[in-house]
Amino acid sequence: MKIIVAIKQVPDRDAPIRIAAAGKWIEESGLQFSMNEPDAYALEEALRLKEAHGGEVIVLSAGPERVGTTLREALAKGADRAIHVTADDLGERDALGVARLLSEAIKPESPDLILTGLQSEDLGLGQTGVILAELLNLPHASLILHVEKTDAGLKVKRELESGWFQEIELPTPAVLTIQSGGNKLRYATLMGIKRAKTKETRVLNAAELAPVAPPTAVLEKIALPTKQRSTQILPGTPKEAAAALVEKLRFEVRVL
Amino acid sequence: MILPHATLAEPPHFSVLERVVFAALVIASAVSFWQRFGPIVRKILQSKKDPGFRLAPIGRRVWDFFSEVLLQSKVIAQRPLPGLAHAFVFWSFLGFALVTLNHCAVGLGIGFLNPESQGLSGLFSRLYFYLAAVFALLCAVSITGLFVRRFFVRPVWLGKKVSIESGYIAFLIFALMATYLAAFFTTDASPAARILWWIHTLALVVFLPLIPHTKHLHLVLSPATIFLSREKFSDIPPLANDEDFGLVAGQDLTQIVSLQAYSCVECGRCTEHCPAASTGKALNPKDVILGLRSYLNEIGPATEEPLLGKHNSQEAIFQCTTCGACEFQCPVGIEHLPIIVGLRRGAVNTGAWEDERGAKLFNQLERGSNALGMSSAERDKFIQKESLPIFDGTQEYCLWLGCMGAYDPKGREIVAAFARIMQHLGTSYGVMSKEKCTGDPVRRLGNDLVFQQLAEANLEILAQNKVKKIVTVCPHCVRTIQEDWKAYGTPPEVEHHTEFLARHITQLPAVKTKESIVYHDPCYLGRYRDVYDEPRQLVQITGKLVEAERNRERSFCCGAGGGLAFLGEESGERVSHARAQELTATGAKTIATACPFCNSMFRDAVGEPNGLSAAPKVLDIAQLIDSHLGEPTLRLYTRKSDEDHRSH
Ligand code: SF4
Ligand code: SF4
Repeated sequence: MKIIVAIKQVPDRDAPIRIAAAGKWIEESGLQFSMNEPDAYALEEALRLKEAHGGEVIVLSAGPERVGTTLREALAKGADRAIHVTADDLGERDALGVARLLSEAIKPESPDLILTGLQSEDLGLGQTGVILAELLNLPHASLILHVEKTDAGLKVKRELESGWFQEIELPTPAVLTIQSGGNKLRYATLMGIKRAKTKETRVLNAAELAPVAPPTAVLEKIALPTKQRSTQILPGTPKEAAAALVEKLRFEVRVL
Repeated sequence: MILPHATLAEPPHFSVLERVVFAALVIASAVSFWQRFGPIVRKILQSKKDPGFRLAPIGRRVWDFFSEVLLQSKVIAQRPLPGLAHAFVFWSFLGFALVTLNHCAVGLGIGFLNPESQGLSGLFSRLYFYLAAVFALLCAVSITGLFVRRFFVRPVWLGKKVSIESGYIAFLIFALMATYLAAFFTTDASPAARILWWIHTLALVVFLPLIPHTKHLHLVLSPATIFLSREKFSDIPPLANDEDFGLVAGQDLTQIVSLQAYSCVECGRCTEHCPAASTGKALNPKDVILGLRSYLNEIGPATEEPLLGKHNSQEAIFQCTTCGACEFQCPVGIEHLPIIVGLRRGAVNTGAWEDERGAKLFNQLERGSNALGMSSAERDKFIQKESLPIFDGTQEYCLWLGCMGAYDPKGREIVAAFARIMQHLGTSYGVMSKEKCTGDPVRRLGNDLVFQQLAEANLEILAQNKVKKIVTVCPHCVRTIQEDWKAYGTPPEVEHHTEFLARHITQLPAVKTKESIVYHDPCYLGRYRDVYDEPRQLVQITGKLVEAERNRERSFCCGAGGGLAFLGEESGERVSHARAQELTATGAKTIATACPFCNSMFRDAVGEPNGLSAAPKVLDIAQLIDSHLGEPTLRLYTRKSDEDHRSH
C-alpha cells in the first residue's frame, strides 16, 4: 500500500505564546515547533499498516524551512521519503489554499491512502483533510481511530460521541483524518535518525504548485484566553449542597 | 625428627624414563591448556576495539592492580572470612610460583633451589621452602574452609547448582599443598619422597588444563581485567561511529566486555547485592555476564546474531535500577553498568524495546522539558510562588532544580528548604528560567538520541548564562551533569547540596536532638560519587545518627534509578518496600534522604505518618536542617573558607 501522511508543524505545546504586533497571529520568533499531535497518530497508523502489509509511507508537509525538522523526525520514525512544499506565506492561505497545495503535491504520486490528523493543535479548524478529499475527488472518513485493510478496501473505526464507535467500510484510494489516541506512539531512535539522513526529501515550491488565491476565510483577531476562576460556596447541609452541586454539574457545566 | 634435614620433596635423581614421562606430561598438559585457552584469547581479540579506551593514566591502573589483585583488598573487604581464605590461597599461589618452577626443573634434572647447598643460595632455598610451607598450610586450611562453605553451607547466591568442578579443583589444590607439606617428613631419595613428588606433579598437570575450562579461568584473566578496567564507575563508553547503536549483536561486543565475560568467577556477589535479583525479578547480574560468555562460546564475536534473546532477556535488562551494587562488588573488575546500559542502548537506539511507559517517557522528553511530562509553566509558577531568584550571571551558584525539584510536590519542598538555607547562609544563587531534564533517565535507559538533545540544550543554556557552579538536591542530576554530559561539551562545576552544606556546617544550627535518624545512602551519591561522610555529618547536627544494616558502599537501592521510576509496576516484591522495611527496622523516628527520588519512593513505601502508625517521617537532609534554622550554630572552629564566603 502506498500511503501519504500529511503533517503540520505547530508551535510546541510547552512554548510560551505571545500575540504578534498585528494581533492577527502569534509571534513565531523564539518559538519551538513540533509535529502536530493528531498527525503523529496518523503517521503511526500509516507505519503500522506498512509493517503489516508492506508498501511505502510518504510524509508530506507544507511550510517554511523549519518544517524540515518535523519531516526528518517522521523519516526517523520510519517513513520512506518526504515531500516538502516550501511556502513562507501559509498565513495568507486558508484551509482551502493549503489543501490545494497538498492535493497538487499528492496527485502525481497517486497513493492508495491519504492520512492526516483530525485537526491541527494551533488553528484547530479540522478542515484541511476533508477539503483535500474533495479536491482529489476521493471518499473520506473523519475521526478515525483504527484502520484495517480488507480485500475490498478498508474497514475503519470511527469515534462518535460519548463512548460510541462506528465501523465503516470504504474503497481505496481514500482520505482519512485520524483522531489522537488510537495507538501508542513509537519513539524516535538514534538508528532512525541516522537512516533518515539517506532518505529522499523532495522539495516543491508552493508558488509553482498552486498560485495564492484570495482566502475565503481570514483571521481577524486572536487573543490569549482570559483566566477566569470563580469559586462558589454551596450553602446548606451536606445533602442540600450535594444536590445543588449535581444540579450545577448537570445543567450549568453539563458534565453529567 | 626428620624435619630440619628434609629435602623438600625434590628427589635428586630421576631415571631417563622418568624424565621422558615427566616431560611428556608437562607438554601434554600445556598443549591441552592452550587448546582450550587459545580460542578464548582469540574470541577476546576478535571483539571490537573499545571506543574511547585509554591506557593512561597508568598510575591508577597500577594502583588498582596492586590493591585489588595483589592485596586482594576488595575480596577481603566485602566478604571478610571467605575473602581472607581466598587471599591466602591466592598468596600461596604467588609464593608457589617459584616452588613449582623449581619442581619442574628438578624433574628435568636442573633444579635451582637446593636447600642442601652451602652459602647464600642454600640459605635462601631453605628460607623460601619454609616460607612456602607456611603458605601451604594456610592455603590447605583455607581451601578446606572454602570447600565446606561451597558444598555444605551453600550460600544462596552461589546458585542452586553446586559446581562439581569447584570441588575437583579444591581437591587438587589441597593435594598440591598436602604433598608439599608431607615431603618435609620424608628423607632424600626415599620411595615416599618420590611418590609424593609424582602425586604433586600429577596434580599440577591435571590442574593446568582445567583452568580455562572452569571459572578458574579468572586465575589467568582477572589480573588483566582489573588492570584494564574503565577509568570511572559506570563509565558508559561513547558510540564509536554512525553504525554503533550500543550492544546490539556480537559484532558490538568490545574486547573489554568479552574479557570481562570470561573473567567472571561466579562468586555471586553481584547477585547477592542486586535489588532486582533480591526482590524476585528476572534480572540477575551474574547471569547477565555468564549469558554473554555463553553467547561468545556458542556464537562468538563479530556476528550479527542479536545479544538479547536466548542468552540474555530484554525483560531482565530493563529491570536494572543502575544502582551499581554489582559493579561495586565484583572482585574481578567486571563492569556491569556499561554492559547493561549498553544492551539497553542496543534495544532502544534501534527501536527493539517496546514499552508503553518507556515510549511515553521518550516522547515526553523529545518534545517537552521534563520527565514528569508536565508543562514548563508549572515550573515557572513554582519559582514565582517560592520567589526563587532567576540566575542572571551575577550570582555565585546556579541552583539546579531537576525534574523532581521543579515538578514533584515533595521534591519542591526539598528545594524550598534548601533555598531557605542558602538564603540563611547568605550565598547568592539563582535558578535557570529554562532548565530541561538532565537526561538521566534516558541515559540509563539507553536512549542516546534524546540524551544528546537534552545534554546539548542544557549545556547551551548554561553557557549562555555563564554559569560556573551548579548546586542541586538531586544526585542523579549531579552525576549526569558532571560525567555524562562530558560526551557533548564541558559542564560547569557541580556539587550535591549535602556537600555544599557540609562545607558550611559551622554556620548551620546544631540542635542535637535525641531523635534517632537513619540515613539512607542514595546510590548516585554513594557508590557513584563516593560521598558518604558529608550527609552523616549533617544528620549528626540535627539528631542521633543510626545506621541501617546495609549502609555506605553496601547501601540497598530505593528502586527508582535507571529510569525505572517512570516505567510500570514492578514484578515481585517492590524494591522500595524491601529497603523501607530495613530502614524502619532500625527503630529510627526519621528516615533522612539525600535524593528526591529515594524520598518519594520511601514516602510511598512507609505511608504518610499519622497518629495511629509508627511509620517514620521521611525527610531530606535539607528539610531536617531547615526545620532548625535560626537556632544556635555549631561553631567549634571557623574555617578560613567560611570567612571568605561570608564576605561575598
Ligand atoms: S546495577 Fe543494581 S539493579 Fe542493576 S544489575 Fe547491578 S545490582 Fe542489579
Ligand atoms: S560478575 Fe563479578 S561479582 Fe558477579 S559473579 Fe561474576 S565475578 Fe562475582
